[in-house]
Amino acid sequence: MRSTFHGLETGKRSLFAQQTALQTTGHNIANANTVGYSRQVVNLISSRPIEAVGMMRTNVPGQLGTGVEFDSITRIRETFLDDQYRNGSQIHGAWEVRLDVLEKLETIFNEPSDVGLRSLLDKFWASWHDLSENPEDITARKLVRETARALVDAFNQTHRQLEDLQADLTENIQVKVAQMNTTLQTIAELTRQIRRIEALGDNANDLRDQRDVLVDQLSKLVNITVTEANGIYQVSMGGVVLVNNDTANLQTVDGIVGNFGGALTGGEIYGTILARDQYVTEYINQLNTLVNGLVNGEVTITIPRGSVLPEGTVLNGITYTGSVAARTLADDLTVTVRGLNGLHQLGYTLLDPPTAGGPFFVSADGGPITAGNIRLNPDIEKDASYIASSMRVIENGGTVTVVKGNKDLALLISQFNDLKINFSSVSTGAITGYGSVNDFFRSIVGQLGIQAQEAERQTENAKLVIDQVDARRQAVSGVSLDEEMANMVKFQHAYNAAARFITTIDQILDKIINSMGIVGR
Amino acid sequence: MLGRVTQGTMTAQLLGNINKNLKQAAELQEKMGTGRKINRPSDDPVGITYSLRYRSELSINNRFQTNVNSALSWLDFYDTILSQAVDVLKRVKELAVQGANGTNPQVALDNIAGEVEQMKDQLVDVANSMFQGKYVFSGQMTEQMPYPPGTDPKTVLTDQGSLDYIINTGIRLSVNLIGNNVFGYPPASTGVVVNPPNTNEEDNVFYVLDQIINSLRSGDHEGVAAQIPLLESRIDKILTQRAEVGARVNRIELMEQRLKDLNLNLVTLQSKTEDADLEELIIQSKVNESVYQASLAVGAKIIMPTLVDFLK
Repeated sequence: MRSTFHGLETGKRSLFAQQTALQTTGHNIANANTVGYSRQVVNLISSRPIEAVGMMRTNVPGQLGTGVEFDSITRIRETFLDDQYRNGSQIHGAWEVRLDVLEKLETIFNEPSDVGLRSLLDKFWASWHDLSENPEDITARKLVRETARALVDAFNQTHRQLEDLQADLTENIQVKVAQMNTTLQTIAELTRQIRRIEALGDNANDLRDQRDVLVDQLSKLVNITVTEANGIYQVSMGGVVLVNNDTANLQTVDGIVGNFGGALTGGEIYGTILARDQYVTEYINQLNTLVNGLVNGEVTITIPRGSVLPEGTVLNGITYTGSVAARTLADDLTVTVRGLNGLHQLGYTLLDPPTAGGPFFVSADGGPITAGNIRLNPDIEKDASYIASSMRVIENGGTVTVVKGNKDLALLISQFNDLKINFSSVSTGAITGYGSVNDFFRSIVGQLGIQAQEAERQTENAKLVIDQVDARRQAVSGVSLDEEMANMVKFQHAYNAAARFITTIDQILDKIINSMGIVGR
Repeated sequence: MLGRVTQGTMTAQLLGNINKNLKQAAELQEKMGTGRKINRPSDDPVGITYSLRYRSELSINNRFQTNVNSALSWLDFYDTILSQAVDVLKRVKELAVQGANGTNPQVALDNIAGEVEQMKDQLVDVANSMFQGKYVFSGQMTEQMPYPPGTDPKTVLTDQGSLDYIINTGIRLSVNLIGNNVFGYPPASTGVVVNPPNTNEEDNVFYVLDQIINSLRSGDHEGVAAQIPLLESRIDKILTQRAEVGARVNRIELMEQRLKDLNLNLVTLQSKTEDADLEELIIQSKVNESVYQASLAVGAKIIMPTLVDFLK
C-alpha cells in the first residue's frame, strides 16, 4: 500500500536530481576552457521501486516507481588516450630540444654567409696570395697578420659560443630537474587528497583532472608510465618509481644524468643531456680537429729545387745543416710536414740575419691546439716581419742574407687550401678524415644540416601525433557548449515538469483534505 | 573521424591551422627577403655543401684573376722595356755601320763613340728598370740593383730566380726575365765563371758596346765592323725574349678566359643551388595569403555561434 504522500517524495527526488544535473551542466560550462578539464556527468538512475519481495507485500499489481536518484558524478576520460598522449609527448619533448640546440649550432656556424669561418679561411689564403705578390715588404705581411687575427678570433669565438651553449644546457638540465621535482611533489600531494576523498566513496573528478595535467607536463620532461591498480597509484620513469601514492621520490641532477640511456629514454631532460653530450661535444671536437689539422696535420708538399732549408731542418730523415750550399735542394723534394706550422718553419722571415719562421699559430695554454686556445704566434703579433715567405738565402762573402724576392713559401701556403690534410694524425677522438680544410668544414656543416633536418622532421611528426591524440582526448573529454546547452534545456524542462507534478499532487491533497466528505455541509 | 566535436577541438584545430599558415608565410617571407632558398644548413644539407664549395671556389677564382692581371701587367712592362732596348740597339747598329765606314775622320768617330756611350748608359738604365718598386732583371733579388753604378755591367751575373704567379690551381707561371738572358752573360775575357747550363757569351751587349766604343776611339774601322754581327745576334736574342713574353701573355690570356668562363659557371651553379625562384615564391606567397585570410574569415564565423546564440 503506498503512502498518500508518495507523489510528493517522488517529485522532490526529481527536483533534487535535475537540479544536481543542472549544477553539473553549469560546472561543465564554467570549465569549458579549463586546461585538462574532463566533462562530468551525473549518473541518474531510477530509485528502488516499492513493493519489494516479501511476505508483507500487497496484492496490488505491478511495481510502483519511486522516482529518480543519482548514484555518482563521474568524469568522462579514456586512460588509454592519456597513455598515448604521454608517450607522444616525451618523444616530442626530446626532439624539440634537440632541434632547438641544432638550430643554435646552425646559428653559431653561420653558414651560408660572407662572414663565417669559411669566408675568413678564404680571406686568409687570399692574403698569402697578396704576400706572394709583394714578398719584400711589410705591408703585405701586415695584411696576412690581420686576416690571421680575424681567423683566430673567429675560431676562439665559435669555440666560446659552443662552450657557452654547453654551459647553458647544463643549467637547463638543472632547471628542468627542479621543475620535475616540484611537479612530482604536487602530484604526490594531489594523490593524497584524492585517496582521502575516494576512501569515502566519492569521485575526486576535479583533483584527478588537475593531477592528469601535471602528469602530462611531467611526460614532456621525462619518459613516464602511470599505473593505477588495486588502489596504488604509481608514476615511474623506466624502472625508477617517481611517485608512489602520496610519496614523491625526488631526483638529483646527477641521478638523472646517471640514468641517461638507461631508465631515462625520452622527454626534454633526455633531449637536453643528449644535445649537450653528443651534439655540442661532437661539434667542439670536430672544430678542434679542424683547427689542429690546419695547424699541425700531416700534409704532403713539394719544395721547389733551389730552396735552402733552414739550419737543422729534418726532412725525410735527413738533417740539413752546414753551409748554404749543403742545405740547398738540388731537386724538387716531396715531403710530409706537420700542417701550416710545419710549413711555415721551412721558410725565412724578413729578419736579418736569416731567421727561420717559427710556428705560425701557437696554443695559449701550451696544450694541444684547439679552436679555443689557438693564438697567433706572439712574435708575429708584435712584428709582422716574423712571417716567413722566402725559401732561399744566399751567401756572399761569408754573409748569409735572405733572398726577400723569393716567394716560394708564400706560394706554397697560398695553395694550402687545396692540400689534403691527414686529420687522423691530430684527431684525439674517433674523428678521422683525409681532405682539405674546406672539405672538412663542409662536412661539418653538411652533417649539422642533416641532423637539424632530421630533428625538424621528427619534431613535426611527434607534434602531429600528440595533436591528434589531444584532439581525440578533446573529443572524448572536452566540453561541448552545444551539448551542455541542450542538456540545460533538458534538465530545466525536467525540473519544471517535476515542479508541476508537485503542484498537481498538492492539488490532489487539497482536494482530499479540504473538499472531501463535505456533502450537504 | 572524431565522434564528438567540441568548441575546444575546433578552436585548437583552427589555431593549429592558422599557425601552420603563418609559419608557411614566414618561411616564404624569409626566402623572398633573402632571395635565397638555403638560409641555414638544414634547408638543404646536400645543397649547402655545394654552396660552400662554390663560394670558396669563387673566392679563389677571383684571386686567380687578380694574379692573372698582375702577371699581365708585369709582362706588359717587359714588353715595353724590351722594345726600348731594341730601339736603342738599332740606333747603335746604325752608328756602328756609320763608324765602320773608313772615310770618317777621327772627330766624327769620337762623336759617334760619345753617342754610343750615351746609348750604353741608357741600356744600363733599362737593365735597372723597376716595376712596382722591384728591379725586374734582378731575379728574386728584387731589392738589389742588377747593374749597380761602379760595377762594370759586362761582368754582372744576375740572379736566376724566377718570380712566379699562381694563375690557376697548381699552375705556376714565371713572369720575369733573367737579366743575363736579355743582355748576355759575361764574356770569357772578363774571367767571370758562368755555371752551366749557361755559358760565357761574347755578344754580351755591354761588352759589344764597349768594344765598339774602344774601336771607334782608336779609329779601328774593322774592329767596329767586326762587332756588328755580334750586335745583330744580341738583337735577335732580345727579340727572342720578347717573343717569349708574347707567348706567356698568350698563355695567360687563355687562362684568363678560362677563369672568366669558370667564374660564370660557378656563379650560375651557385645561383641554381642557393637562389630562390622568385616567381614561384610570389605565387606561393599569394596562395598562402588567401588561404590564411580564408582561415581567419572561416574562424570568425565558426567560433562565434553556439546554441547559446539561438536560445532565447
